[in-house]
Amino acid sequence: MRTRWSAAAVAGLLLVAGAGCSGDGGDGSRDGRITLRFQSLAWQKESVDVNKELVREWNAAHPKVRVEYVQGSWDSVHDQLLTSFEGGEAPDVVHDASDDLADFAYGGYLADLRGLLSERLRSDIPERSWETTTFGDGVYGVPFLQEPRVLIANAEWLEESGVRIPTPREPWSWSEFRAVTAELADGDGKYGVAWPLKEPVSATLNLSLSAGGRLFHRGDDGKVRIRFEEGDAVVPRTIRDQVNADASAPDSTLGSGGSDTLPGFFGGKYAMVPLGFSYRQQIVQQAPKGFRWRVLPAPAGADGLAQGVSPQTLSVAQDSPHKEEAAAFIDFLLRPRNMVRLALGDWMLPTGTRGAVRAGVSRVEGQGGDAGAPGVLQRGDRTERAQATPDDGRKPGPEPLPEVTVRWAGGASSSAGPLWPVAQFPAPLKSRGYRPDERQGRSPVFQGRGELRDQPPPGRTRKATAGQLG
Amino acid sequence: MRTSRRARAGQYAALLAYLVFLAFPFLWLVSTAFKPPRELASLHPTWLPRDPTLDNFRQAFDEQPLLRAAANSLVAAVGAALIAVLIATPMAYVMARHRTRLAKAATGWVVVSQAFPFVLVIIPLFLVLKNLRLIDSVGGLVMVYVVWALPFALWMLVGYVRAVPAELEEAAAVDGAGRLRTLVSIIAPLLAPGIVATGLFAFISAWNEFFFALVLLKTPEKQTLPVVLTHFLGAEGVADLGPLAAAAFLATLPSLVVFALIQKRITGGMLAGAVKS
Repeated sequence: MRTRWSAAAVAGLLLVAGAGCSGDGGDGSRDGRITLRFQSLAWQKESVDVNKELVREWNAAHPKVRVEYVQGSWDSVHDQLLTSFEGGEAPDVVHDASDDLADFAYGGYLADLRGLLSERLRSDIPERSWETTTFGDGVYGVPFLQEPRVLIANAEWLEESGVRIPTPREPWSWSEFRAVTAELADGDGKYGVAWPLKEPVSATLNLSLSAGGRLFHRGDDGKVRIRFEEGDAVVPRTIRDQVNADASAPDSTLGSGGSDTLPGFFGGKYAMVPLGFSYRQQIVQQAPKGFRWRVLPAPAGADGLAQGVSPQTLSVAQDSPHKEEAAAFIDFLLRPRNMVRLALGDWMLPTGTRGAVRAGVSRVEGQGGDAGAPGVLQRGDRTERAQATPDDGRKPGPEPLPEVTVRWAGGASSSAGPLWPVAQFPAPLKSRGYRPDERQGRSPVFQGRGELRDQPPPGRTRKATAGQLG
Repeated sequence: MRTSRRARAGQYAALLAYLVFLAFPFLWLVSTAFKPPRELASLHPTWLPRDPTLDNFRQAFDEQPLLRAAANSLVAAVGAALIAVLIATPMAYVMARHRTRLAKAATGWVVVSQAFPFVLVIIPLFLVLKNLRLIDSVGGLVMVYVVWALPFALWMLVGYVRAVPAELEEAAAVDGAGRLRTLVSIIAPLLAPGIVATGLFAFISAWNEFFFALVLLKTPEKQTLPVVLTHFLGAEGVADLGPLAAAAFLATLPSLVVFALIQKRITGGMLAGAVKS
């Protein structure tokens, strides 16, 4: 009897298992055609649409190398990729962020892209961006989108206060920023700034680069030591003084995420919020009608507007049998015009500004006017609506979507709002803290979620990278 | 001992507070699902949307294949629940009635298995499934869910089986019933509430499961609802809150409906035999 029950259970399992067998265990080659799997982490509709459009364009132009779009998720992406790599089932082209690549690069899961990428792509992206994906002697990802921290400001509040409005060329210093926030605060529930410090390590260390902060110092013996020096203290001290001494920043937001500060920002409690560049989309969607806001550069210190960034990356799996084709697909995705399309879709900034400049992009403009101001792509004397505007055949959404403006060479430059000249931003990314001659021994890594940990293998160091505004 | 009116009122107040505490996240989810973006970022949020809209639902369905994902989830959850119950019932019977060393070892395994986090087993599991060619298959996912739910299901059912008097089986044996007949005709009907509760547990744990589905399913058409819901989430916790709430609200409905339909049987089963009448 017992045997019969066991047999029935096993048979049941096998039945279900058999029914679900996919039978797909090949390398993607069918009928002489190559199939590449591209796992994208794009999540906003505009971004997903652009990615899918680009895949369609590739497939139309390359019938022998078909790309399958696989939707990934930022949630648990590291564990998901690690498992796929270990199991030999990873996608051929992997979308991730540079701060997540170290494990995969050192683990041998990613292909070294040197020799696979075109000279055009190599030269389009600044060397300092490449350093974020360089581990040891290899390059394991193509950095293509980046998100600096900026100040999102209530334009009306700032104008009425009469404070100097900073520009990328003349940003606030940290001390000036503190003085401005003190002036904007009224001591009665209205604050000059609200710091969302849910990820305090990431926020303060990355911004500290502007003040010459470094924290990690490599000695002659190759060992890394932590020293908290004057440059490291500037940002945390400013925040502490704003909260405790000036009452120009509330303590209630110190544990909040960026989105959590927006109700207070829209409600007139906070004059400014330091947020990532892509938060502009949420602001466009959620800002009350008539609410005027603008993007300001983060305060500058001894090292100007430098700050740490972790670009989004595209990599090729080491196990992929079609590395050259995968690299060619990446090259296609990151042609200057396509990279700008991806950046617009994700509300971020492209790293490949040199290529963009050659392609005619002269400026990437941050939102500077009222919420809902339509975005345009201007090229020469032609003006195109941005692809995210509701005139693309879709039913208009409840809120106007676009506001990033890309100005192509020859187009009239707008005086409204801050302009980010491509020649200066974000091209002069610069690496700080870990210079090429310091790529020895163990080196600390800033993780995206504010963790800090050591690099496992000696002799390989990754870069903390600073982007420079203006 | 009689309870005074004041004490009784206090009990009801405490119960109400507990209910509010339990219901708060769900009610907030429902409220959020019907709010337009501007209300979501309001400094003074309200329970009832001031300007209720179905746009979040429209956007959620436009942007993600929710129905297909729900169908995949349903297949995985129902399959896992049925198979887990089918396997766990006879196992629980044996463990409850035959207290051998093997039964004790199995009980130990049940306890120990609850201590393993997902991430510890996922890579070996992935490799095993890959060898069985069960990666990227809903069938493989069902198998994983069954294995994952089995220990706790077994644990639950053993308790139910022990609550059934052994004398009933002896009476059946006297009447000439074999083991299988006893199990099917005598024990199973008495275990019905327990089986339903166990099946429900397996169903809900499979319906809500995210990580295995994320790792094991590659084809977008096979993804389950929890995985698709994460497509409304961006990096560093940024979320498309309205559509996410709308989709999450819809995702909770099957669990609520199943609970509503069978909750009487569950509580009835739990209380059955608690006291001698």
